[in-house]
Amino acid sequence: MSTSSIKPDAVEAAVAVAGDTPSKSLDVPPATTRAAHASVMGASAREGGDPAPSRTIAHEGSADRAARAPAANPGAGIDYELFLDCVHCGLCTASCPTYLELGDENDSPRGRIYLMRSVTDGRLAPTAEVRRHLELCLDCRACETACPSGVQYGKLIEPFRIALESQGEARGRTDDWFHRLILFGLFTNPRRLRRALAPARVAQRLGLIRLAESLGLLRVLPGRLRQLVTMLPPPTRQQRALPAFLAAKGRRRARVALFTGCVADVMFRGTHWATARVLQENGCDVMVQHDQVCCGAIHFHAGSSAPARELADHNVRAFDASSVDAVIVNVAGCGSMLKDYGHHWHDEAAPGREALAGKVRDISEFLDELGLVAPEGPMPMVATYHDACHLGHAQRVREAPRRLLAKVPELKLVDLPETEICCGAAGTYNLTEPEMAARLSHRKLDNILRTGARAVLTGNAGCLLQIAREARQRGEPLWIAHPIDLLDLSYRRSKPPC
Amino acid sequence: MPTDVAHTLPLDDTLTPVAEDELARVVRECARDRRAVYPLGGQTSLDVGLPARRRGLGLSLAGMNNIVDYPARDMTITVEAGLRVADLADKLAAENQWLPIDIPEASQATIGGAIASNASGPRRYAHGTIRDYVIGIRAVDGRGTAFQAGGRVVKNVAGYDFCKLLCGSFGTLAVITQVTLKIKPRPPASAWAWCELPSLEAADKLLATLTTSATTPTAIELLTGPPPDEEGPLASVAPARLLIGYEGTAAEVAWQLEQIQMAGRAEGVNYQSTGETATVQRVWSRLTEFSVPDAEGVAQTSALAIIKASVLSSMITNLIRSIQELAPTAAILAHAGSGIVTVRLSETPLGGLAAAIVRHWQPAARAARGNLVLLAARDTGELTRQVVWGMPQDDARLQLAVKQQFDPHGILNPGRFVYGSA
Amino acid sequence: MIAQRLPSLIEDLRRAVGSDGVLANRADLLVYECDGFVIEKSSPDVVVFPRSTADVAAVVRLANEYDVPCLPRGAGTSLAGGCLPVGGGIVVALTRMKRILEIDLRNRYALVEPGVVNVWLTQALKGTGFHYAPDPSSQGACTIGGNLATNSGGPHTLKYGVTVNHVLGLEAVLADGSIVEIGGPAEDAPGLDLTGVLVGSEGTLAIATKIWVRLTRDPQGYRTMLGVFESVDDATTSISEIIAAGIVPAALEMMDQGILVALEEAFQFGFPLDAQAILLIEVDGLEAGLDEQRDRIAEICQRCHAREVRQAVDAAERQKLWKCRKQAFGAVGRLSPSYCTQDGVVPRTKLPHMLRRIYEIGGKHGVRIVNVFHAGDGNLHPIVLFDERNPDEIRRVLAASGEILDECIACGGSVTGEHGIGVEKLEFMRKLFTPDDLAVMERLRHAFNPVGRLSPHKMLPTAGACGIEQRAPGRRAAL
Repeated sequence: MSTSSIKPDAVEAAVAVAGDTPSKSLDVPPATTRAAHASVMGASAREGGDPAPSRTIAHEGSADRAARAPAANPGAGIDYELFLDCVHCGLCTASCPTYLELGDENDSPRGRIYLMRSVTDGRLAPTAEVRRHLELCLDCRACETACPSGVQYGKLIEPFRIALESQGEARGRTDDWFHRLILFGLFTNPRRLRRALAPARVAQRLGLIRLAESLGLLRVLPGRLRQLVTMLPPPTRQQRALPAFLAAKGRRRARVALFTGCVADVMFRGTHWATARVLQENGCDVMVQHDQVCCGAIHFHAGSSAPARELADHNVRAFDASSVDAVIVNVAGCGSMLKDYGHHWHDEAAPGREALAGKVRDISEFLDELGLVAPEGPMPMVATYHDACHLGHAQRVREAPRRLLAKVPELKLVDLPETEICCGAAGTYNLTEPEMAARLSHRKLDNILRTGARAVLTGNAGCLLQIAREARQRGEPLWIAHPIDLLDLSYRRSKPPC
Repeated sequence: MPTDVAHTLPLDDTLTPVAEDELARVVRECARDRRAVYPLGGQTSLDVGLPARRRGLGLSLAGMNNIVDYPARDMTITVEAGLRVADLADKLAAENQWLPIDIPEASQATIGGAIASNASGPRRYAHGTIRDYVIGIRAVDGRGTAFQAGGRVVKNVAGYDFCKLLCGSFGTLAVITQVTLKIKPRPPASAWAWCELPSLEAADKLLATLTTSATTPTAIELLTGPPPDEEGPLASVAPARLLIGYEGTAAEVAWQLEQIQMAGRAEGVNYQSTGETATVQRVWSRLTEFSVPDAEGVAQTSALAIIKASVLSSMITNLIRSIQELAPTAAILAHAGSGIVTVRLSETPLGGLAAAIVRHWQPAARAARGNLVLLAARDTGELTRQVVWGMPQDDARLQLAVKQQFDPHGILNPGRFVYGSA
Repeated sequence: MIAQRLPSLIEDLRRAVGSDGVLANRADLLVYECDGFVIEKSSPDVVVFPRSTADVAAVVRLANEYDVPCLPRGAGTSLAGGCLPVGGGIVVALTRMKRILEIDLRNRYALVEPGVVNVWLTQALKGTGFHYAPDPSSQGACTIGGNLATNSGGPHTLKYGVTVNHVLGLEAVLADGSIVEIGGPAEDAPGLDLTGVLVGSEGTLAIATKIWVRLTRDPQGYRTMLGVFESVDDATTSISEIIAAGIVPAALEMMDQGILVALEEAFQFGFPLDAQAILLIEVDGLEAGLDEQRDRIAEICQRCHAREVRQAVDAAERQKLWKCRKQAFGAVGRLSPSYCTQDGVVPRTKLPHMLRRIYEIGGKHGVRIVNVFHAGDGNLHPIVLFDERNPDEIRRVLAASGEILDECIACGGSVTGEHGIGVEKLEFMRKLFTPDDLAVMERLRHAFNPVGRLSPHKMLPTAGACGIEQRAPGRRAAL
């Protein structure tokens, strides 16, 4: 199923040894200026009879466009009407994390749409600068929430990035060692990942990573690898794998399948167990299909459509959608991808993917719809909730987790400022764009600390890792968990975690 | 203060045009002849500014006092600049409307003069100043060019906002000939709550709590020194007196009086209150007239000098203390919520007026992030630009550049405003 | 200035603000060729991102040294082309100057940098009992610096006033690169009220680098109502009657059926789609007075044949109603690929007449017009729908827009209530003002900006009068 046939030990070597690929910097590379473009500057152009080259009057007729667009235009496959939905009002800009950080409109949704449309119209070549701005997008979809015109930004940027990738020229981000070895080869294969993590785990247990961190030794690693190593959550007792079936407690209310994913199955098995137990408490039979695979989001968002489709089709076969009431996902990024299976590819297998997508529910969404059996263990603590982008923006699930948490006895939930702004995790973004990711997680933790809460709850694995790493590095002893972890503790009448 | 103009301004003649084109022609001729022009409204603010030295022409707006258009249902009115403020108020009152700006000597003052001198009073805390009401303006600049800005609608961003620029410009940029004002419905009820306080410290403490009072005062007034009335709420001689004005519907006013008294009890402050119309109106009026040099009531004398400071409202008690050090008998009224402090001096301060202002009070105002100016003085002999207007502002160069564009020959009210010799 | 000097200018700018603060390649500049007004485009030569007042001053000095235009830009949400870099030159993007420097509740002011997004200030004030009153519909994105430049309004300015009523002073960089403080946190600074004329000057006088704004107490309570009308005429008559009755609502907004359809699709509020118009009416203030005001308003609406007057039941419903209203412009994207909006103002008693004329004009030119506007101020926002790929339609759109604005002038109104003149409405300045009026404005600009380097070809229809406007490529009409 993997796109790479690399051997596990080779991967370990890659993790262990610092590669020599320099990490990408946010600094815009020094521009090459074209004299012809210098407008103001003006006089010479005008004297030459050229009517002010910088001024264009904006009517790029579609016929016009067709005539000029090169054959391999990355926008060619995109429904042009989707571009036209954007009326250029700019209301999205302040919702965009990268724009908030950089203030450059090229790194805002309106700007990125403008760039993509200009490339599609043939006004602009897909230069390195254009790619850079599109790569820096977190795909967090905050702009879709902000957009009053209903622009479907994801449907523009995702296919556009994929088309950029599939074009031969200027090979981009999926062709480097990091993507081939780490992201696609390792992350999407739980067994391999667990083995790959083993040496790092040993180092962690021995306190070596902590030591290296404090001595600044990790700084010699290239940025993305350093991110990966520091991202590891503190070691916990190895959890055993979930069984294929867990029976409902009491009267059976539903029959569900649990999606366990790839990275999450390694790093968050505890949360999977918690999810299963909470489902059981709520009268659900839980099935865990052991032949399920990675949802494909990592590939898809990095621009590799075909491998993602293979994974999707594998999952369609693994989960017989008709046999369950719902397919439960507790990682927002995976949930969002699974829900989009029906839209991403249009071929003869589409109906099967649509059927699976139709059954997919985030755990909080599902429990909220089902009606939560109130947990009884008191949790006297102050917590705040961070809206994971792929839950809040992509799946529009915002109130459900808050409603569930409101039922936990004695829990005080306080508002998080900028809760809707991405924490920088964004799938594998924290690995591919470490600098921007670090700025955003710093911003996120500042906001968390402002609330005074000592517990942070969020419904996505990436956010959990990202926020936890930031808190660890800044020495903030926060309890960072999935809302379902807290519900589980309450059902089990455990001691409050903090 | 309706003074004899000849005592205040060196006029060799006064003209009273009845139309803007006539007025513009006069200014053009003066510009050609480099003759000084002194615009005259109700002549109530002639004390303000440096003494006029150049002889020139008095240009009275008394002949231009028509109401041009009063579409009451649109809540706007267009009037000529020479209209008396009291006449304007009467006209508006007939429609149950008003211009909520306190303008002293309303029966004499003109609306053009009130705008040019940026007149204000206690209600500025809730209602702002006159710049917030001028939505259209016509004027004649120092070249004799008649121009307009703004319009007759309440919201308008076409062109530069000369309506604001001419407010408080003391006739030095242009002679205002006509204005369109935004007006408001007149509130049906009005009342005062007041209390006596043992010290300025106590006043400061109470003022801080008013920042977040549940009530929405129209005015917050702090008084020290000789009282501005012989009877009623203003007659107290306590070290500090705080008055809070409320306006609105009867229900709103009643609720607020009750609320402030309740809050007062919690802080150990005893508020008295009145909603009795004659008393209430007398308080508004006495507070509004406080800055007039020979105003009725205040220490039963006309003032030797009137000073106005504008500082952060949190700093007014500091400023008042530094004034009292040199002038213990001064009568002081602060529009406390707005940081405006008016001082009536009936005795020469320790060390002389100019020195007290320049060496002590202006630095004190500056320390309170604001300014202090001399509005009127009986003895004008020792007045310099700095005594009257303070140290030049950071934007002095720009102010002069603007002045030179509007009045390149320096004929409008010359030598009296902030530009120094211009 | 010749093109050969551009690389040298760019180098100098990099030295001044750092290399991460300069955009100079064509791909990066393209986005800056327009703002929320898309009918005309013009690319800058370079975009800079200063982080401090000193940075801005250095940039302006370089603009002088190289003799190029210089144009400040905030979030680029102008609907009038206020950020269109006519003639190229330097765009000074103030989006990295976004700190709230000071909040002083006792003295009711805040000091902010120009790139602070309008709503951030109100968010920062949450829980203090204060807010920043000007609330343009784009407040989630637009900057306070941009609000200052255009003297922005918003729904709640009916009662609370527009930006100029809430700006106490500013620090600014002048056309010569010098830094000056104008006004400040204390009121009534002696001398001319230059703050008053700088607000709304559309970047043509100076670049604000710090702004003191007045903070406003939160009202104790609200009553938010929805009046549903069978005819636009009944709705506009109600507006005029409410104002005439001496009621000052906090906000009074009208939306016609065309816009309701788009909003309903976007937000599913439950607007009655068969209604011809709705009024969104809000009164605020002391609880003690609110029910009486609400009842009077309801009575007036009913007298004007309202089908129904509803009240928002809770804070959440109120918020949703306002979200609908504030995002109305954007929701138009659901109706057509492009739109342009006008910003005319008429005396409030003229609203019934004016709305009738707007629909007639739309019919005459064969373009669809929907309306959502600040009814209480008489500030119209007819939104003309079109497809920018259809040149004939654009011609008709421009003709209809022009006719609407002419009608506003004929009614004694203005062509812009809050969006500004920008480049879009330059030609109307001659209809609103005499040559003498414009000459005086020109002279004021000269006092601040003698060669027209700052924001050339904006606000005053006198292109070519100033040096820089003569040398830089001039602006041409869209069609």
